[in-house]
Amino acid sequence: MLEMFAAPQFWADVVKIIMIDLLLSGDNAVVIALACRNLPPEQRRKGILFGVGGAIGLRIVLTFFAVSLLALPYLKLIGALLLIWIGIKLILPDDEHDEGNIKADTRLTGAIKTIIIADFVMSLDNVLGVAAAAKGNVSLLVFGLLISIPLIAWSSQLVLKLIDRFPYIIYAGGALLGYVAGEMLVSEALLAPLVEAQHQLHWLIPASCALLVLVAGKWLAMRRVVTSEVVNLLDGKVSVVPDKQG
Amino acid sequence: MKTEHQQRVSKILIPLDGSASAERAVDHVIEYMDTLKQPPALLLLNVQWKIATGNVKLFIDQDTINDYYREQGMAALQQARAKLDAAHLPYQYHISIGTPAEAIVQYAREQEVDQIVMCRQGEGGLKMLLLGSVVSKVLHLAECPVLLVK
Repeated sequence: MLEMFAAPQFWADVVKIIMIDLLLSGDNAVVIALACRNLPPEQRRKGILFGVGGAIGLRIVLTFFAVSLLALPYLKLIGALLLIWIGIKLILPDDEHDEGNIKADTRLTGAIKTIIIADFVMSLDNVLGVAAAAKGNVSLLVFGLLISIPLIAWSSQLVLKLIDRFPYIIYAGGALLGYVAGEMLVSEALLAPLVEAQHQLHWLIPASCALLVLVAGKWLAMRRVVTSEVVNLLDGKVSVVPDKQG
Repeated sequence: MKTEHQQRVSKILIPLDGSASAERAVDHVIEYMDTLKQPPALLLLNVQWKIATGNVKLFIDQDTINDYYREQGMAALQQARAKLDAAHLPYQYHISIGTPAEAIVQYAREQEVDQIVMCRQGEGGLKMLLLGSVVSKVLHLAECPVLLVK
């Protein structure tokens, strides 16, 4: 157990997991805050509490579910493809699609339902990424979960500010997801005979997957119309009748 | 008979993030108002980070998102507005959504402001290193003079 901490590989995995957790932390905190906005004030705290608790519980369940699924043959192949796609999505700019048909729910059950469904959808990429980076190591998995919990509850501006300061962080993140996907491919039982025969594939496959994500992400991003960044929300004016006092 | 052309009113933009240090810029402007021959038009601006991206919009309606931005933005402007109200000065206020530095510079361009007055932020050390400062980015991007209040 202890010699694990001395291995450089372990620390490399820790860094990978922190990075994946950060960039794929999702917008859970935002959804929780927004879904509870329309609740009566006395129910708001309850909604946030249930929402955060539910999100954490769901993420734990999903993580262990993902790990056991990834142990099955063929599923690593699918997982790796999904991860490559997640990496490309990370690099792509956000496309503006307006969903016109969602109604704000003013009941507690409605808000919690929204939060849980949103948590489920938004946790999938994070869970898959962490499960792949942990490579079945339970302490790494638990570490990944622990890191993600404060991010569920509080992140929202942190990631935005980081990306604003270091725009290339999303390319690093995309490449990392591609690399992790490649590592998962290498460990796929189906490819085992091939990888055993050609030893350089151990690093060649992850490296090509990282490159694939970068190239595909950049290419698709260039094709996408960049929508205007700044939105004007509100304008107000206060004119003062000059009132001389005294 | 007044034949002289109407003098243009200069415009001063004060970006605010709701922090106490940002409001020092407002204090400065109020203080210097008396020394000016013609009072400039004051524009207050708050920029909200665009936290609701694609995924959030799948679950939350746009009205709720905008209400949230509006509430946060008005809260950030509150202190500065109170100060200007107390000083009996007219002003305009505006809330944008986007990345702060870019939004400040864009609004300054749209409104053709003559000067941006900001406070040199108090935060330093690790936070500054990791997150950078809006001030330095505005200095870099702005097309008009920027006054930094200590």
